[in-house]
Amino acid sequence: MDMNEIKEIFFQECEEQLAELESGLLKLNDGDRDPETVNAVFRAVHSIKGGAGAFGLDDLVSFAHVFETTLDCVRSNRLEPNQDVLKVMLRSADVLADLTNAARDGGSVDEGRSRQLIKELEALANGELPQAAAEPAPKKAAAAPAPAPAPAATEEGFQPVAFSFDEFETSEEPTIEPSTYEIAFRPKSDLYAKGNDATLLLRDLSRLGEMSIHCNTDDLPPLDRMNPEAAYFAWKVSLKTDKGEDAIRSVFEFAEWDCELEVTLAGGDAGDAREELPMQPVPFDLSMLDEEPAAQAGADEEEDQAVARQREVRDAAVSAAETASNVVRMAQAATQAPGDGGRSASTSAAAQASASQQAASAATPTIRVDLDRVDRLINLVGELVINQAMLSQSVIENDTNGTSSINMGLEELQQLTREIQDSVMAIRAQPVKPVFQRMSRIVREIADMTGKSVRLVTEGENTEVDKTVIDKLAEPLTHMIRNAVDHGLETPEKRVAAGKNPEGTVRLTAKHRSGRIVIELADDGAGINREKVRQKAIDNDLIAADANLSDEEIDNLIFHAGFSTADKISDISGRGVGMDVVKRSIQALGGRINISSKPGHGSVFTMSLPLTLAVLDGMVVTVANQTLVVPLTAIVETLQPEASAIHSFGASQRLISIRNSFCPLVDVGRILNFRASQANPVDGVALLVESEGGGQRALMVDAIQGQRQVVIKSLEANYTHVPGIAAATILGDGRVALILDVDAIVAASRGQSLKPEMSLAAAG
Amino acid sequence: MASKNTARKTLKLAPVLDLNEATALHEKLLALRGGAVAIDASAVERVGALCIQVLMAAARSWEEDHSSFTFAKVSDAFVKTTQLIGVDFAPLMAKEI
Repeated sequence: MDMNEIKEIFFQECEEQLAELESGLLKLNDGDRDPETVNAVFRAVHSIKGGAGAFGLDDLVSFAHVFETTLDCVRSNRLEPNQDVLKVMLRSADVLADLTNAARDGGSVDEGRSRQLIKELEALANGELPQAAAEPAPKKAAAAPAPAPAPAATEEGFQPVAFSFDEFETSEEPTIEPSTYEIAFRPKSDLYAKGNDATLLLRDLSRLGEMSIHCNTDDLPPLDRMNPEAAYFAWKVSLKTDKGEDAIRSVFEFAEWDCELEVTLAGGDAGDAREELPMQPVPFDLSMLDEEPAAQAGADEEEDQAVARQREVRDAAVSAAETASNVVRMAQAATQAPGDGGRSASTSAAAQASASQQAASAATPTIRVDLDRVDRLINLVGELVINQAMLSQSVIENDTNGTSSINMGLEELQQLTREIQDSVMAIRAQPVKPVFQRMSRIVREIADMTGKSVRLVTEGENTEVDKTVIDKLAEPLTHMIRNAVDHGLETPEKRVAAGKNPEGTVRLTAKHRSGRIVIELADDGAGINREKVRQKAIDNDLIAADANLSDEEIDNLIFHAGFSTADKISDISGRGVGMDVVKRSIQALGGRINISSKPGHGSVFTMSLPLTLAVLDGMVVTVANQTLVVPLTAIVETLQPEASAIHSFGASQRLISIRNSFCPLVDVGRILNFRASQANPVDGVALLVESEGGGQRALMVDAIQGQRQVVIKSLEANYTHVPGIAAATILGDGRVALILDVDAIVAASRGQSLKPEMSLAAAG
Repeated sequence: MASKNTARKTLKLAPVLDLNEATALHEKLLALRGGAVAIDASAVERVGALCIQVLMAAARSWEEDHSSFTFAKVSDAFVKTTQLIGVDFAPLMAKEI
């Protein structure tokens, strides 16, 4: 695998980590205080940082680093993850996602925003609560316990990003009183195997302040029995520093899991069991050790150059090792194949750790499969279904004996193909969770912009639906959520005045109902202001001033194109491209949308969508000797028109009267140019369909053949786009039947003919 | 190599005594066992904890053998590193420096 593939896998993993991060933070926001949740959040950020470092994504690394530092404070119980803290963290998760996307797609990120968040995160890490809220931060823990047992996710031994000390100085409180820490440090052999060295760690440690040291050599065996690559030495260090415990732990950051480390504040009662050790002061100027290769070189400049070179070499070596370990890790994750990259001790150790990490997370095993492959399989199964239908049909035609074993076999085959079809569809089925998670971010952002306090409650996130539907669901949902927060919910003051919780609730629910997925978006706001909607509709000439509309009809007015009740056009909503666009997108998915609203109690939008776009329940009809399929979801009712109900209107328009209302009659055969003149409606059947904008039309067809599930075959992919036709299918008798694009037909009915540009206009 | 040799042997240490060098140094020292040894650390630019462990183990083994194990020459980097990590070779150096 080349670097780009590895990078692609990294980004895929990032997506998973970001989802993990967000759901973890939301759990914490809901009051979950399980240390494992905090660990999972920390791991997610740490993994992203580690991977980003390997690819030199500096922006991502530096932001993740600050984020991680703050999360570490939460992990070590030095920072209480209250609502204010989590608000900052959730926003940071958003920025982290933006940075990841920018790194992948080359987009840009709002730098001001990330800088601002870095400041806020650093403030949190320094124990300052956001917005000077609530009780003072707990004092930096005096005697923190040894680091939590290594969360195995962070097995990467080291980081290519040489952390600069400036960074620590900015992220650490500069005004900590100098205190003396006792550090017990016992490296494991792994530490050396990964190319690290105790001398380097101790050197970095000595830079933090005044240090004295005792080396415990008791474990050192005689020369002939020792393993020269094993770790025998252990150290006790006493360090007087004003940088705080975090800085000390940072020194060991990338060795944390390859050593035993204990940092305690000296003089505490923990020190009673400590025996007095002969400590050697480490008083000298350590600059010498930075200039290792140039130690004997004379001129200062030469020394400096050598230092730089040496650093470069070391950084390169470290980053190479890091990359190698990532190769192994990613190769494992991707293909379960053993890494064929470096087989050095360090990489195999990293791979082992990674394997144990995967075991620890104990998720159900999954594989990544190209969507193309799944689609091909689905296509083939579609063919199989069609083929099976054709086979049954020809058997029925040729064999009149209904009890023959062939018929029984065919029935079994039919059952099997149906089962295969269902299982294949299940492969494409994905939980709606990722879309719902994206919504929580939208809610946060809109809430921030509008100054409202909003809580998003999601239910049924694991409800599964076809991936295509999921992909197309995000946009209409975003519109609706924005509307719900911006228009639906009141300001906190108004809510309090109305006797409600100042925090508004938006509830997003998904569930399966009779073979469809139903998504409900409910807010507990003021409900639709019918007076205002009505007035607006009158102003916009949508209804007559004296029109008598039911509540439901008024509510449905908001789905009209160009309708907006927002007094001012804001960034968020009110451009008038709101709900009509939503309705059109939902309809394009073969879905419906309903609204119900109670003044003072909020509104509920209910969307019902097909579970898949690969098969469709359709009504098979005949039009001018052609067989067509009309999607069942579009049809409200079917009726046999009577001559008395048909009324002419203008030159060529006709209306049909249905229960005291008039509905335009659309001759499908005429629109599709199947016939030159209009057919007599009385000879045919009218299908009452709901079209965009909420209006109803009666589609005239010659006869109804039946209702069945058909496999959708794309016309665009196999032939070319045909105006008025959404797709095609193959029927049991082997004939191709076209699936009507109801909206395009209705849109074209105004001009009585279907031209390509018209259908494009309708689609756009 | 095991033959008793009263003549002091000198072992010159490599400039970089890292993970890779630890095993080599270990083998060299094992081969010198039995006779007095003077370590020449004058060229040492960088020394890791593993090699210091080997040297320390050697020093102890030589002491057990009642043989002489000294550091004839040392570089500044070598001394500073041993001081940094709290390993005291000074008595072994003092004799010769």
